[in-house]
Amino acid sequence: MAEVKAVEKEVKIEEVLEPSLDKELRIKRKKVVDPGFDETIKRLTPEKIEKTINAVLNLRKTAARFLAPLETCIHCALCSDACQYYISHDKDPTYSPASKLRLTLWEMIRRKGKVSPEFIKQCARIAFTECNICHRCSMYCPFGLDITYQIGMVRRILFLLGVVPHNILDQDNSQSATLTQLWISQADWIDTIQWLEDETRLEYKNLRLPIEKEGAEVMWAPLGTEPKIATYHVVRTAIIMNVAGIDWTVPSRDGWDSVNMAMFIRDFETMQRVVLGLYENCLRLKVKRLVLTE
Amino acid sequence: MTGLSNWDWDTKEKLLADINEWKEKFVNIRELIPSDDGEKIAAVVLTEDKRFTTCINGEVWEETFDRVWSLKFNPDNQLLCFVYRNFEWNFVVEHEISEEAFDYLWNLTLTPDGKGIAFNIKVGEEYGAYINGKRWENLFVDARDLAVSPDGKKTASRVQTKRKGAVDIFAFWEKIWTIAVDGNLWDNTFLAVWGVLFSSDSAHVATAVRTEQAQYTIAVDGKAWEGKFGLVWDPIFKPGSSDVIAPVRTPKGWTMAMNGKPIWGNFYQVLHQKYSPDGQKIAAVVAPQFPKWTIAVDGTPWNIIFNEAALAPVFSPDSKKVAAVVKDNNRWTIAVDGSPWMEKFDNIWDPIFTPDSDKVVAKAERNGRYFLVIDGKVGKQEFEHLWTPVFSPDGGKLLIRCIDKGKYYRRVVAIDEI
Repeated sequence: MAEVKAVEKEVKIEEVLEPSLDKELRIKRKKVVDPGFDETIKRLTPEKIEKTINAVLNLRKTAARFLAPLETCIHCALCSDACQYYISHDKDPTYSPASKLRLTLWEMIRRKGKVSPEFIKQCARIAFTECNICHRCSMYCPFGLDITYQIGMVRRILFLLGVVPHNILDQDNSQSATLTQLWISQADWIDTIQWLEDETRLEYKNLRLPIEKEGAEVMWAPLGTEPKIATYHVVRTAIIMNVAGIDWTVPSRDGWDSVNMAMFIRDFETMQRVVLGLYENCLRLKVKRLVLTE
Repeated sequence: MTGLSNWDWDTKEKLLADINEWKEKFVNIRELIPSDDGEKIAAVVLTEDKRFTTCINGEVWEETFDRVWSLKFNPDNQLLCFVYRNFEWNFVVEHEISEEAFDYLWNLTLTPDGKGIAFNIKVGEEYGAYINGKRWENLFVDARDLAVSPDGKKTASRVQTKRKGAVDIFAFWEKIWTIAVDGNLWDNTFLAVWGVLFSSDSAHVATAVRTEQAQYTIAVDGKAWEGKFGLVWDPIFKPGSSDVIAPVRTPKGWTMAMNGKPIWGNFYQVLHQKYSPDGQKIAAVVAPQFPKWTIAVDGTPWNIIFNEAALAPVFSPDSKKVAAVVKDNNRWTIAVDGSPWMEKFDNIWDPIFTPDSDKVVAKAERNGRYFLVIDGKVGKQEFEHLWTPVFSPDGGKLLIRCIDKGKYYRRVVAIDEI
C-alpha cells in the first residue's frame, strides 16, 4: 500500500517532455507515474521490443492491414470531434485519434519495430490513459477506418511487453490465475454468498442466494468487486431476483466473475478463458439465461 | 456407479417422501438430493427456530446449524454434508459430526469407489485439501479445485505458492502458481495453472499452464511440454498410459496435441476431448466453421454442424458410438454419430447409453416439465422433476427418480414401457 500512496503523490508532478523521443514526437503531458509503465520498461530490451512488435504486426506478411488505414487517413479531423479526450483538452490536436495513431502505431511500423523503451512508455500513456476504446472515432471516420482496432493492437503489443497500468494488469493477472478480478478465493466467494443470505433473510423471509442450483432459469455472474467490496450490490440483486420470482443461481466453481479486464488490455487468451468459464458454468448448471452485472 | 446389481430392480414403484408435507412442516426446503439407488431423498431444511438441518425421507435430524450445504449421498446411502455453527465448519457422514473443525470447506468429492471423501479446506488464511481423515501437512496462500486420484488415495489442487502484495505485478511474474499433490509442490511454478487431473494409474498429474504473457502449454508432473502454444484447454490422460492430450491453438488454428505435438487437423476451436473406454479413439467438440459446432472423432468432424452448441461427447460402452448434446436454432437435442434426434427440447441432459451400447436415453425439459427420451422418442410420462436415470446392469430396466404431484417416487421401468 505504501507504494500506491507514493504513486498518488507523484502524479501531481507538472508537465514534462520526453527528451529521448524524436522532436516531432515530443508532446506535452502531465507525467503519469505508474510502476506498470516506469518499472516495467526497465525490463525491456530493444530486441524484445522489436521482436514483439513485428510478431503482432507481422510486418513481412500483413503490414498492409495496419498500414492501409494509416495511409488512407486524410487527416480530416472528423474523428477528433468524436473524441472526449480531444474535446476535454481544449481541442489539443495531439489528443486527436489520428494523432494518437501517428504517435504510436505509425512510428512502430515506420521504424520496423526498432523503438526505444521510452517510446513504448509514451505509447502506453497514449493507448491506456488517452483513449478508452469507446469506438466513437471509428464511427465518425468517413472511410470507416477502425481507429479503435489499431489502438487496440497497440495495447496488445504493450500487454505482451508487460507495459500496462499496474492496477489493470494486476486484475488481469488475477483473472488469469483465479478467473476472478480481485484474487478472490473459492472459499471466500461461496462463504460470502452464504453470509449475505444469512444477513438478508432476517429482513426478507425465505430470501435465498441459491448456489449450484442445477436447472435454474438464470445464472447470475456478478463483477468481482461486488462480493469483495460492494456486497450490498449482491444483496440488491438477490432481493430483485426473489421479489421478481426468478429462479436463479450462482455457481460455486470459478467462472462466476463477469469482469473481463483482459479484454481491455488485449490479453486475448485470458479474455477467452473468462468467457469460456462463464459459459461452462451455464452449460454445466443447465440454466437458460446468463445475467451479468452492467 | 458402484453396487448396481445389489439395488432393488424388482419393485416397480416406491413412494418414499411426500414433499408437499415437507413444505408444510418446514419454513423452507432447499434443493432435493436423491441417493444413487433412489431409496433416499434428502434436503437442507429451515426449521421454525430459523436453524438449518437435514431431512432424509421425511426424518429430520435433531441437530441444527447456522448453515448446512453440499449434500451428497455415498454409495452406502450415507448422507454427507458440511455444517457450520459456533463459527466453525465440520463435515458430517450420516449424522456423525467430525471432531476436526475448519474455517471453510468446499468441493466435497467422493473417491471413485465411493468409500472415501475429500474436500478443500481453509484454515486461518491458508488453504489445502483433506482426504480420508487426513489433511495436507502443507497449506498454501490459495488452493483452488480438487482432483482425487482414481485409487482414492491422493488429492491435487492448483495452489499459490507465495503471498504477494496488493497490486504487485512483479511478484506475479515470479511465477507463483503450481500444483500441489497431497500438499507437496511441483518443482516448477508457472504464471497460472488450471485443469488439474490424475492419470488412470494415479501416478501422474497434468494441468494446463501459462508460461509467458501469451504462451501456454501442458505440464505433466511439473514438467512443461517442449511445444508451446498460443492457448491450451484442459488436458486429459490416455487411459492406461501417461500420454496426455489437450486442445492447443497453433498459428494455423486449434487442433489436438498429444505430448506436445499436434495430431489432428485445424479447426476454429477444439475443446472437451474424451477418450473412448477402450482408449483407442478420441472425440472432441470442434468448430469447423466460425462459430458453428460439431463433434470430431479422431479428427474427422461429423457431416452436420450446429449453429449454437455441441457439448462434451459421450462414448458408448463398446467405444463404437458417440453421442452429444447439441443446440441448433435455440433448441436442444441429442445427436448420435452425427444424426440429431427429430424431437427438440428447451433443455436436455447428457446422453446415457444402455450397457450393450444399443440405445441412448436422456432427461429432457419442455415447457417446465421433464421427460425421458429414448432414441429420440419422448416417454409417455411427464414429471414435475426428474433426476438422471440409471440403467439396470442388464440394460433392460431403468431406475427413475422423480417428483410426481409433489411426491418423490423411486420407479423401475422396463425399457420398452418408457
